[in-house]
Amino acid sequence: MNLGIIELLGFGSQGWGGPLLKAAGVTLAAASCGFFLGSLLGICGASLKLARAGVLRTIGHFYTTVFRGVPEILVVYLFYFGGSVVLTNAMNSGGFPGFYSLPAFAIGVIAVGVVSGAYQTEAFRSAFLRLDRGQIEAGTACGMSKLLLLRRIIAPQTLRVALPALGNIWQSVLKETSLLSVIGLTELLRQAGTAAGSTRQPLLFYGAAAVMFLIIGRITGLILTRMENHLAKPWRR
Amino acid sequence: MASSSRLAIADTTEAIPAISTADLHKHYGGLEVLKGIDFHANDGEVVAILGASGSGKSTFLRCLNLLELPSAGRLHIFGEEVKLRPGDANLRIADRKQIDRLRTQVAMVFQNFCLWSHMSVLDNLMEAPVHVQRRGRAEVRDEAETVLKRVGLLERANAYPAQLSGGQQQRAAIARALVMKPRVLLFDEPTSALDPELVGEVLKVMRDLAAEGRTMLIVTHEMAFARDVSSRILFLEKGRIEAEGSPQQLFGGGVNERFDQFISRFSQG
Amino acid sequence: MDWPFLLDVFHQLLSGLPLTLQLAALSLSVGFVLAVLVAAAVGSPFPPLRWVARAHVELFRGTPLLVQIFLIYYGLGQITPLRQSFLWPFLREPYWCAILALALNTSAYTAEIIRGAVQAVPAGEVEAARACGMSGFMLRRRIIWPIALRQGLPVYGSEAILMIKATSLASIITLTEVTGIAYKLISSTYRVLEIFVVTGAIYLTLTFLLSSALSLAERRLHAHHKPS
Repeated sequence: MNLGIIELLGFGSQGWGGPLLKAAGVTLAAASCGFFLGSLLGICGASLKLARAGVLRTIGHFYTTVFRGVPEILVVYLFYFGGSVVLTNAMNSGGFPGFYSLPAFAIGVIAVGVVSGAYQTEAFRSAFLRLDRGQIEAGTACGMSKLLLLRRIIAPQTLRVALPALGNIWQSVLKETSLLSVIGLTELLRQAGTAAGSTRQPLLFYGAAAVMFLIIGRITGLILTRMENHLAKPWRR
Repeated sequence: MASSSRLAIADTTEAIPAISTADLHKHYGGLEVLKGIDFHANDGEVVAILGASGSGKSTFLRCLNLLELPSAGRLHIFGEEVKLRPGDANLRIADRKQIDRLRTQVAMVFQNFCLWSHMSVLDNLMEAPVHVQRRGRAEVRDEAETVLKRVGLLERANAYPAQLSGGQQQRAAIARALVMKPRVLLFDEPTSALDPELVGEVLKVMRDLAAEGRTMLIVTHEMAFARDVSSRILFLEKGRIEAEGSPQQLFGGGVNERFDQFISRFSQG
Repeated sequence: MDWPFLLDVFHQLLSGLPLTLQLAALSLSVGFVLAVLVAAAVGSPFPPLRWVARAHVELFRGTPLLVQIFLIYYGLGQITPLRQSFLWPFLREPYWCAILALALNTSAYTAEIIRGAVQAVPAGEVEAARACGMSGFMLRRRIIWPIALRQGLPVYGSEAILMIKATSLASIITLTEVTGIAYKLISSTYRVLEIFVVTGAIYLTLTFLLSSALSLAERRLHAHHKPS
């Protein structure tokens, strides 16, 4: 061992501290974007599953069944290879020969978003179903339009109920971003792998990645708990 | 005491009923809950709607605010016919805007209060006037504070519903209805969810409102309250109006045998 | 629809199914035994044991499974005493590394499920048993564990389904289970959607069979709740 642990993980010229920290930023960014996309998909999915029309419900059911039942890595492959096939065909037929692929970050966000969207669909749906019907009825009785009801009564109350489940989904999204290392996104795990390879210190660098995942999870978890407590304030006696 | 002034108002405006229904029906699947109700309430009247559970009294009240859609029949609110069109089982709302407008004039007080749990009491009161009626915030706030003072809750304006007792919640819910300046107040068993010792404070507020000459339709099990405060009793049984009349007439006995049976069951407990 | 191609893909994927099932079954059973030990340690009166158990749960639930797999597959070889021990012939193999990582991972989650299920046993029922003179092992065997099993089974069911999906990560350390084969097929033919559909169908069938089996077991356990 030529270099000590401090030098290896430090920020000096031989240290991997800088790249690792940057990679942690990529992890956080991919997870946040993916989770946000998942929220949009989750709201759409929940609306589909709660719709009156049977066709819409079937579509919503199909979405959650498939993307919660299939391994995440397979979904990553689907968008990685599928995206490049679609893009290459489109470019080739547009007169640009060659092979094209989407940026790994975009693919990663889509894959993570679609999977977490399926889980968030369930979170939003069950939160909505747990709402007290009287809350909605009181709004209807005051002459609120459907949109106003949704905005002023249903959305804030559903969010409050869904937040603990959403917090759990966020934690899995955070960990799922590690799968994006296999499609070349330089997030924490891939950066740790590069460092491990060039220094022959896999235990140290994968360990460092694990610790960084733990720290990010802890801090974001604390923020979410704060938010939960804040939103739960009206219900405390 | 206050009954004379109330009757005076009722007499002058008898021409246009506040609410009237013609041959109102409601069924759930094969179960017929309302079997043709012809009813009208004049401006300033306080109508107590009585009946055993399952008589259809709550359903009837909820039809007046279109929380339940009737299966057949017609509904007029201040002479304006509520636009309904035929549907599968029940009639359907033909003009959502009309309904939403009329709903602000026919306010509802629920058995379970149904205050919005994520808003403070004051926000609960201001919600519909600001967002549905689009009145100015400052004016609504003043109005809300006046009404809160009236029901004795001004100092709890910033509390959340979960922090109030049942009686306080129901008084806040009545205040919420009042801030909309409705022309009719509907009460759906307003004291049934309350502990016995909290019933009085809610009934007192309702008594005051009645004394003001407000138009009120009250589904209730409080027989003494119905007898003392209402100007008219509507007694429903099995989805039909079984008896109707002034409290003096009906509670005097001998007018309707079933009503007498109903009352005697009550007084036995 | 190119049926012959789909059928061919299906046959090739099926050859990876035994490996997927082995990984899932072995890691779930080893993981369960570990989880019982961890759950017992979390509840033990001896503080250092509690700390170790809590750290175990925290570590394996708080980090990605893929990091755990890499730590074991690439990292353990760095520990010289381990390389010289009798364990090395096993730990050199991606197969055993995958099983070890999966088992440790599921043990952390399962330990929490067990703890939650035992905590959810109504205090009144435990008191009633104590009042009858039950205690120690008999109290656990006759009252606490049977009730906890009924509470915990549905949650454990979803954990088992997650583990079936998690075995797919073994493909990243060269194991050719179902997902490994799917990856090879996709990257050689680029017929992404068709292969995804067939692979997805295999996993959905597995999870469907597992959840059906679990709900059958649940119904049997809850037979006493049915109105007679």
